[in-house]
Amino acid sequence: MARNHEAQFERILDAPKERVWKVWTDPKLVAQWWGPNDVTIPECEIDLRVGGKIYIVMLAGEAMGPFKGTRWPMKGQFTKVEPLSRLTYTARAWTEGQGSETQIDQITDVTFEDQKGKTKVTIKVTITNADTAPKAALQGMSYGFNQQLDKLGKFLATKH
Amino acid sequence: MDTLSAIAEPNQRKIIQLLAQRGNLTASEIARHFQSSGAAVSQHLKVLIETKAVFVTRQAQKRIYSLNPEPLQELSGWLFDLTNQWEHRLNKIDSMLSKERKDSYKSQSRRGRKNG
Repeated sequence: MARNHEAQFERILDAPKERVWKVWTDPKLVAQWWGPNDVTIPECEIDLRVGGKIYIVMLAGEAMGPFKGTRWPMKGQFTKVEPLSRLTYTARAWTEGQGSETQIDQITDVTFEDQKGKTKVTIKVTITNADTAPKAALQGMSYGFNQQLDKLGKFLATKH
Repeated sequence: MDTLSAIAEPNQRKIIQLLAQRGNLTASEIARHFQSSGAAVSQHLKVLIETKAVFVTRQAQKRIYSLNPEPLQELSGWLFDLTNQWEHRLNKIDSMLSKERKDSYKSQSRRGRKNG
């Protein structure tokens, strides 16, 4: 049963679109916010044009215990680049050295809208291989199960 | 129906939450938390068992329902990751931008004065 899962996140950031766009597209800046705590970003490449590459590697640090040293790359390409307003990329994320069961294919669509000098960012993530994804890709993070279940339910309610 | 669809149903999700909080429960203990009929609760339990989210054991005359954490944790890990990942990233971006704002304010209006 093939099925996509879709989730949407929104946030109003207190900065003009130019700043937000830069934070999103300058690899040095992206490397600062991309990873969870205790993870470093040894590689971050962004070739900002349609067909251009996005390649970001997360590396698990000391504090991640058994995950330490694990690399989680994400590699893909931009399908839409509309300066200051929209970025779309398709990508595959996986756990380095492990099999295809760790792969997650996704489409990420980010839009930027001006709101009186602030910027509303909307991120829409579509997971395109959801059937295999649940087996894998904890990506070093695990979270309290119970508190999160409602979030999960809402997430699932938007599935396609 | 698969585990994903089973927990997308709010009553079924509530049963899972109950079992996660309280451990093992009988059907009537579960039913106490619902307005709906015992039959409706049984139906939800049946779906949860079929999808392996919940399993049942027998103790004397009683049927005891418990959570089967494995399939749920696999799912939750993956899906929560996505949500938490983006929440976390947006928080970081937010604080980067606000630091930037403060820095530019300082450099504009308090030029020459050292930070912090």
